[in-house]
Order: sequence, then C-alpha cells, then structure tokens
Amino acid sequence: MYIPLRSRRARHGLLPLAITAALLLAGCGADNTTSGSTGGSGAPVDGGTLRYVVPGSPATASNDPHGGLGNESDLMRFALTYDVLTVPGADGSPQPRLAQSWEPNQTLNRWTFRLRDDAKFTDGRPVRSRDVLYSLTRIADKAAENYGRLADFDMAAATAPDDHTVVLATRSPMAEAPKALESISFVVPDGSADFSAPIPGSGPFRVTETDAQTAVLTRNDSWWGERPHLDRIEIRAVADPQARAAAVTSGQADVAGSVSPAAVKTVEAGGRAQVVRRQGVTEYPIIMRLDTAPFDDPKVREAFKLAADRQALVDTVFLGYGQIANDLPTPYDPSYPKGLTQRTRDLDRARDLLTQAGHAEGLKLTLHTTTSYPGMDTAATLYANQLADIGVRVEVKVEPADTYWTNIYAKKDFYVGYYGGISFPDLVRVGLLAASPTNETAWRNATFDAEFNAAMGILDPAQRNARLAAIQQDLWRDGGYVVWGVGDGLDLTGTGVHDLPNGPGFQRMFIERAWKAK
Amino acid sequence: MIARRLARTALLVLAATAVVFAATEVLPGDAGTLRDPGRASPEQVAQARDELGLDQPVAVRYLRWLGGLLRGDLGRSLSSDRPVSDLLGQRLPATASLVAAALVVTVLLTAAGLLVAHLRRGRGGTLAAGLAAVPQAVYAAALGAVLSGMLGWLPAVSLLPPGGHPWQEPQVLVLPALTLALPSAAFACTLLRGALTDTLHRPHVVDAYRRGLSPSLVLRRHVLPFLLVPMIQVLVLTTGWLVAGTALVETVYGFPGLGGLLVSAVAVRDVPVVQGAALIPIATVLVGMLLADLAAATVHRTAGPATRRPVELTVGVP
Repeated sequence: MYIPLRSRRARHGLLPLAITAALLLAGCGADNTTSGSTGGSGAPVDGGTLRYVVPGSPATASNDPHGGLGNESDLMRFALTYDVLTVPGADGSPQPRLAQSWEPNQTLNRWTFRLRDDAKFTDGRPVRSRDVLYSLTRIADKAAENYGRLADFDMAAATAPDDHTVVLATRSPMAEAPKALESISFVVPDGSADFSAPIPGSGPFRVTETDAQTAVLTRNDSWWGERPHLDRIEIRAVADPQARAAAVTSGQADVAGSVSPAAVKTVEAGGRAQVVRRQGVTEYPIIMRLDTAPFDDPKVREAFKLAADRQALVDTVFLGYGQIANDLPTPYDPSYPKGLTQRTRDLDRARDLLTQAGHAEGLKLTLHTTTSYPGMDTAATLYANQLADIGVRVEVKVEPADTYWTNIYAKKDFYVGYYGGISFPDLVRVGLLAASPTNETAWRNATFDAEFNAAMGILDPAQRNARLAAIQQDLWRDGGYVVWGVGDGLDLTGTGVHDLPNGPGFQRMFIERAWKAK
Repeated sequence: MIARRLARTALLVLAATAVVFAATEVLPGDAGTLRDPGRASPEQVAQARDELGLDQPVAVRYLRWLGGLLRGDLGRSLSSDRPVSDLLGQRLPATASLVAAALVVTVLLTAAGLLVAHLRRGRGGTLAAGLAAVPQAVYAAALGAVLSGMLGWLPAVSLLPPGGHPWQEPQVLVLPALTLALPSAAFACTLLRGALTDTLHRPHVVDAYRRGLSPSLVLRRHVLPFLLVPMIQVLVLTTGWLVAGTALVETVYGFPGLGGLLVSAVAVRDVPVVQGAALIPIATVLVGMLLADLAAATVHRTAGPATRRPVELTVGVP
C-alpha cells in the first residue's frame, strides 16, 4: 500500500511552545469564567508552599506586566503580585478587585472607577489613582508589544478627580469597559521605568527571589484582601508539557499547568495525580474564506460543515477531553444563542449540496495546518479523511510552526486556526468586522457590523447578549468556520491541593485562595 | 608560535559569531513578527520592529553587536529587555555542573571501553560504533523510562530548587548527564580505538608482547604515551559536544541551563540572546582546541617525534 509522504513533522523539541502568547486571546476577557474550583475537602489549612509548574520559555521571561505577556509563568507571577482593577467572576461578569465600584455616563464612553483606599505597595506607598493612570497609559503606549490591549481606551482623555477615583474615556460607547480591564490592568507605582528587575506591587504575594527557572513568592501580609492560606508559592517555568506532567507525577511539583491529553490519559491510568479540566479552552476551527472559490458558495460551506464527524474529531484530537461544537467559535460565551440546532454529519445532503453547487465531480483542495499546538495536524488529517467521503480530495500541508501565524493565518483560504477561549465581542473585533485586522474568513457584512456596534452600546447584559445571539445565528448559518469541537484545558495536581480556580482564560492565574493539605 | 595560534582562535570565534548571526537571520521571521501568532496588525509589527532596531540592515546590526561584545557588553534581550549577561550568568552554573558531571561519566566509560579494546588487542568495537549512532533523544526516552518510570530511582525531570545549584540535589544531574555521556563515550571510543589499534600494531608493542610482558605493563609503558595526544584532542572535542549537546537534554528534563535558553531564544529569534548563548559552546570548543594544540606541541617536544601521530578524527556528531 502506498502512503504519500507528507511534509515531515516539525521537531516539537525545537519549538518549546513559542506561542504561549496566544494565551492573550484566552485572557482578553474570556467570558463565562466559572469561578468553580478544585474540590475542597474540609476546612482549608494554613501554611505551606505550593510548587506550580507553568508553561514558560526562558528566553522571553520578563518582569514587565504591561508588555506582551507571552509567558504563562510571568503572567501568574504578575497576577499574584500586582492588583488589577477587575477580575472575572463566576457568572462571567467582572468583579471588583482594586476598583470597588464603577459606573458609566449616559453615552457609555466615560467610566468612573472608585478605587479601594486601603491598598498599599510593598514599599509602603499607598496605591492611588495616579498609579492606575500611569499603568494603564503605559499599557496603551506599548500597543505594539501587547497588540493594542487597551486600544479601545483613549488614555489621553483619562482623568483622576481625586486620589481614589479615575475616569476612563473610551473611543466609542463601550458597555464592556470593566471587562476589558479584567485580569490585565496590572498596577505599578507611578513613574516606574526600569523593569529589568521586579517592581513593587500591591497584590496578595510579593516576589522574594527569581532565578533562571523559578520565582519564589511569599505572602504579602499587608494585602487588603482576605489573607491567603499559603505561605509561599514557587512558580517554575518549564517549556515541555511532558516534563511538566512528569514533575507532578514524580512529586517534584504540586500543580502542572496545561499538560497534553496524552499525559492525562497516562496519569488517569496510574492514579498518581488528579486532573483538573477547564472547559472551552482550546479549539482548532477549520477556516474557509468566503471571498475565494469554492467557499464563495454558501452551499459548499454548508456541505463542508455537514461532512465533519465531530465526535470522531474530539475523540482523536483531544482524546475525548472536550465537547463537540456547532460551528460558532465561542460556545462558552454568555451571548451564545440558545436552542440552536446542532449540525450533525449528513453525507447525503452534503453530496447533494456539492452537486447543486456544480461540483458533482468532486473537488481538489489543499488544507494547511501546523504543529504549534498539539493535535492541529491530526485535526487536519482526520477532517481531510472525512471530506473524502463526500468526494472532496484534500491534500494536507503541515507548515512550519514558527512562520504559520505570519504566512498562513488569515492569508490562505483553507487552513486550521486556533482560538484559546476568546470572548465573542473580542472575536468579532479581531476577525469578523469588515475592518478587522485579521478577518480570516473574509466575513464582511454591513448588517452584522451595525448590529454588533448597536449591541455593544447596550449597558444591560441580558439585552446586549440577546442582540449578540441574533448575529451569531447568521454566523452559524453562513459563516466560514467549521468549529467541530472545543478541547478542555488540562492541569494536573498532586493529592491534597485544593481550591485552585478552574475557569478559562486568565481567571486560573489568580490562585491566591488555594491551599495544601498537610 | 603561541601568538599566532591565539590570533587564529580569536579569528575563528569571530567567524563563528558571524555564522550564528547569519543563521538566525536566515530563519524565517524575526523577533518583531514572531511575537504573537497572527494577532498583530501590520502597523503594530512595523512599530515593534522599529523599536527593536530590526529595520536596520543586517551588517549594521551585527557590527553593533560586535562592538558591544568588544566592550564586554553582550547587549539586551529583544523579548524581555534584560541584559544578556544576566540571563547567561543565571544559567551558566547549572550547565557547567551538568557538563562536568557528563564529562566525568564520559571519561570513565571511555577508559573502560578502551581497556576492553586493549585486552582484546583492538579487535571488535562494533558495539561502540552502534551506540554512537543512536540519537540523544532515544537515550533520553529509554533512560527516563527505565530509571525513572520503571525503577523509580530518579526524578523524571531535573527541576532545581529555587536559587538552587545542582549539587544541592545531585540526583537531578544523573539522567541528563547519562543521556549526554553515553553517546559521547561511545563516540570517543570509536575515535580512539583506531589510534589504539595503530599503536598495538607498532613493532615495539608487538615485540613487548612477544617478550611476555604483562598487558598492564605494556599499556603503561608502550601504549599510553602514544595515545596521549589523541586522548587530549578527543577530550577537548567531547567537552565541546557536551556543551553544545545540552539543548536537547535541558529541554527534555526541564533543566534550567544555557541549552534550554538557546532553544527558546532561537524560537523567538531573540538574536542577542542566541549570540550570547551560542558564544559559550563555540568559545569552549575553540579554546579547547587551542589548548589541545599547545598540549600536543609540548608532548611532542618532550617525548620525541615518534608520538606525533595526530589521530584521524572523523567529523561527526554523537
């Protein structure tokens, strides 16, 4: 039997997760954070050290909380040592942290945040509005590094009426301003300029030591919030997911963040660690560009969606650690339309649609994929096999991971994409408006854009989400995404670790309530 | 004489840095374009490249880096803006300990292998050649599976205690050091076996055996002096391979050394860090070769021309 040789797999070892940066997507206000947590048993125990192994690459380790946040290990350190204005709550709505309350003006383009007056930096200085404005302005100024994380805010027009109030201006009406500040608005002292060493923060922990691999944090007893149970947290950056899993199973660490499904399978068989599943974290949608043949015909797009055997993809790519999806990229978002019909595999109808579209003879296409994230290549290969059942012959091209995001992503007409827990409004801004920087499916729809902007000007979440659900219906019917499933984020914990957050996105970085049984 | 050799070594180091710089340049993408997968607008990428000075011609960037190096300044990381010397300094002790441990194991294994070869009068040796041909990654997987997975004797990953040095927990060095040492020792054996066989066939050695001298006496008096120069050369080469070979083992075992730093710096095209991290193995090899040359010259002057038989070193990677 002859098997055509596809381009050789990239050496995983040479690309130690160059792309934890994609976490940004996860974090830019991942909605629907379930503030559930790993099961507690009995009363929390005070004291002890939690050793947490996080994806991280030594070359990009940084002390600057306002830059690209490309390293999960840095991000966790920032989340524990700096205060942010708001954090994700259990119901997906932003909760107070450094900001105690907020309110918009009539037109939703000026937001007044009242800050706590009992927050102090570890050097003893109180946290004041000037520190907040300095930090947010610095994030806005570093747009090139952090991809315009605060682009919707006009920091030049921000004011501080008193020491504990800031008024932030947005460039257009923005009902979700408090959400946009969630988890990333790390506050440093006014005027901090040298970030080559850690800068004092006002969070629940303080940095006592950093070296090539580990940051040692100790409890900040002058923090304003509820006293954490742990005395120390050691955050270790380990790039290799296999090595992270091994660290927990061999007892060298208490928690391993983001391990592979394969490692979890092994562990579940051995019973030497517990598995934490965070729903709706990873997806590898198939992207079809609407302005390119054959995908300019809605019948072809529908046929391609009907050809997918979703359960088989979830079982193979995520080893079952995930759920099937329904061609909308953000099924976990509070605006997800309820009562939508689940598309299922229907080969007869798919062949029929292809015939109607003039492809009775079948089609020949190239599907691009890469190895940036585990299983992206498997997804492409399996989906190509499934398309063969409706007479579409697909050649899978595995492209090098380090150039995939610049040369293939949002440029080719048929490829495997990646999302990591992005919220629906963020997805629309980066990829679905006519003017979006990376409109990967070439979805250009004036009604959609107008409806989206109208919805984002509605303060009431229920009304806003209803409007957003309506435009998602159009996207489901007509869009260029085949979203076949969403994989769980998988962490491992040793026995006796309790109350870790397990929401998607950045919420899981805020581990100050965790504790360890003696 | 020595001055000329020193100058040659300096030129070689310089040439090597240019090659590394060019190699990083040839890789697709740069520190500006690889920062975030597909999220940056073209304007943002252009601004980032501008801020990082990547819009300058390659020659200008290289000469600027070289000028800094001559002043003892290794520059700053493009991704974190931290001084490269800090990044290297934090990781050098870990890698140095690892290479030292691996070198000790390599020397012991090579000595044992050559002793066996000597006792067998230079016959055999296919085993060493076979072992040398097995890639490092296979050793890593097999050793990890047996010593850590099945027997549970050793930690599966080599994390260091915070602020830690390997000698506080020497067991973390065992797996990475063995992974480095096994193929290196096998390779060193294959290299030196040729020199050993040559020596064993020399008339004075054959004659010594005919006179009924014990093998150990023959080895000490008649064989080892002839092997001294090749041994030094191989030792130096091996040290260089070990330093250069840390990239894989450090990644696999999560060991925080220079190899892991180099791998991740290449992945994000952080050229100053790549240059700094690559400079260390390059300098190790070239300075080592210089020392081996000088040692060989010394031996040659003291022991006479008969020993000046440079070993045939086939270039290869264990």
